[in-house]
Amino acid sequence: MLKHIYIYFLVLLVGCNSPNDQKDNTLLYWSSNNRGEIEFSEYFVKQWNNKEKTKIKFQPIPEGQSSEEVILASVVGKTTPDIYANMWQGSVEMYAKAGVLVPLDTLDGFTEFIKARCTKKVLEEITSSDGHIYQVPWKINPIMTIYNKRLMSDFGLSKLPSTYDEYFKAGKKIKADKDNDGYIDQWVGYTAVKVIWYERLMNFYPLYIAASDGGALIKDNKAAFNNEYGVGVFRFLQELYQNEFYSKERLTAGQDRFITEDIFTKWIGPWEIRHVDKFKQRDDFEIAFYPVQVPKGHNGPVYTYSDPKNIVVFNTCKQPQNAWNFIKTLIDKEGDKKLLEITTQLPNRKNLETDSIFKEYFESHPKMKTFAKQANYLKGVDNSEVIVEVFDIISQEYEACVIYNKKTPEKAMEDAEKAVNNLLKN
Amino acid sequence: MKKKWLPYLLVSPYIIHFIVFVAFPVLFSLVLTFHEWNIISPMKFKGFSNYIKMFNDRMFWKSITNTFKFLIIHIPLQIIISLALAEFLNQNIKLKGFFRAAFFLPVIVSGVVVTILWQQLFGFDSGLFNRMLVSIGLNKVGWLTDPNIAMGSIAIMATWKNVGLYVILFLVGLQTVPPHYYEAASIEGANHWQKFRKITLPMINPTIFMVVILSTIGGFSLFIEPYIMTGGGPLSSTMSSVLYIYKQAFQYFHMGYSVTLGFFFAMLILGVVVIQKKYIEQGDD
Repeated sequence: MLKHIYIYFLVLLVGCNSPNDQKDNTLLYWSSNNRGEIEFSEYFVKQWNNKEKTKIKFQPIPEGQSSEEVILASVVGKTTPDIYANMWQGSVEMYAKAGVLVPLDTLDGFTEFIKARCTKKVLEEITSSDGHIYQVPWKINPIMTIYNKRLMSDFGLSKLPSTYDEYFKAGKKIKADKDNDGYIDQWVGYTAVKVIWYERLMNFYPLYIAASDGGALIKDNKAAFNNEYGVGVFRFLQELYQNEFYSKERLTAGQDRFITEDIFTKWIGPWEIRHVDKFKQRDDFEIAFYPVQVPKGHNGPVYTYSDPKNIVVFNTCKQPQNAWNFIKTLIDKEGDKKLLEITTQLPNRKNLETDSIFKEYFESHPKMKTFAKQANYLKGVDNSEVIVEVFDIISQEYEACVIYNKKTPEKAMEDAEKAVNNLLKN
Repeated sequence: MKKKWLPYLLVSPYIIHFIVFVAFPVLFSLVLTFHEWNIISPMKFKGFSNYIKMFNDRMFWKSITNTFKFLIIHIPLQIIISLALAEFLNQNIKLKGFFRAAFFLPVIVSGVVVTILWQQLFGFDSGLFNRMLVSIGLNKVGWLTDPNIAMGSIAIMATWKNVGLYVILFLVGLQTVPPHYYEAASIEGANHWQKFRKITLPMINPTIFMVVILSTIGGFSLFIEPYIMTGGGPLSSTMSSVLYIYKQAFQYFHMGYSVTLGFFFAMLILGVVVIQKKYIEQGDD
């Protein structure tokens, strides 16, 4: 099998960076390989190495098909770095159960520091089933609705479509066949239709969290999503496709209908700000963000998915306390300010919006302030080692119900619930 | 004394390679079929539970059906087109070298690049194929979004990608046919079709056999195209067996189960190839 061979080679490749090659007083630190995070990491590693005896060797995660695959290969080959920053929260439980991560709450000063930094809700979310904490909540990218400000007035919309009904009305108004070829080529929005599990983190999941005020997918080791909110989200999305308010097109990475102004909205994180700035085709292309849509009659703040990425220390690390001391410099207030400035990503800390240290940044970046406000109402993912399979099951039902209308939302949710309960039983 | 161990020394590179990269993985995989293992935790012995699960796994059987659907479209299409192109190149035409290179070019282009390119061509709203259909007054086709059509679209793309290789193989086969056979047939008054049917086809039977076997094995390993273009959808209609095995292994980390599926699938390929061989040999007789 080609894939097996591929992963063997990946193990060999990652093995070239074996921590065994490091001197005893050097810690290996991997970050994500995007430019912003490399710059951020280099800045802090330089600061640390100028002051401390224990040195940090930094490198972006080696190239692979995905960072998850590289980390897996390094775990298998026992060539993990000491510190890895950018672990998806949903992946941590599996590694924690396999015993390859350091329980950080056993390190001096960790619990106090993290309690001061994060909300109680975040701490509950990251606490593993064995009661230990294996991850440092680091950064978030809340999913919100982006919209094109100029198109709003062009379409004659007096208010942002915030509920399902308002969104349908906007959909009706915007849907158009601009080139008169008999096919719709202008829509209210677009979201990925691919059946791959992680695509649901950008559509079904934030909408479900919003409708249920931060509801869980799994509770007490059972599926918890077959309720009025889950069914409502499936129905909402199904109607968007049935009424051709959304296109079923499978777009490639280079195709962006928001940039070409063929759609009015989409669900996305703050990284889109830089993307739009870079690729917009006209100077008056103005964007803004607002919370994802909720059912009519929904009261109170609108929650969303936080897309949390965290920092972990692998048990191959010979100096976990020093590793934690270094991590602290990345996530103290100064570190978080730098994270915002360099990467345009939000730190996962409480009172982000009101803390005086970030005030200046948010005043000069009003779009990011919208995300900081949203940061008060977030949910990550449920702590389950089979969370990917849970999303995959939901994704299969999503495709059958939402995209192809082969099942009613009730039946699709019921089938997903059965399959997830079956999975959790085994 | 020296001469006794010399042969062993000379074959040792291959033996070591065989043990490390073939024998050990196969034996280890066989052991794995009786275990549950997520790569990073210790293995748990599970007896025959992976095999029982496999026989009850509807998605796996659907993936096998999908793979056969792909083969049924892909193999005849590939043979007809490559043979026709080889026949064309076997004539005295101008720019023969250019055409040979042009037909072979897709073979050496990365599968991922080809897949992304064709994904754009197949696009429902903005794809070139649908634009052409609309411009001549026809309806758009859901090349990758219609569950009844998606696998056919992938087969067309895979044929375009691989046909150049088989053109070369057929061309070699055609050039081994002695020209005096055709001359004799012409004297007897045979037309082009009769010459092709009675001389060319029987003479290139070994090449056809090789192309069928290579296409079958290649077709069974269908992975990149559905992985990138459709993710196995719509409605699992392009979920090939290899893609499903990959998902079990590298998405869910069910290594024991995925290896069980892999073993079964390897046996299935072997069975199909043996049947094909017997059938073609019978035809030869």
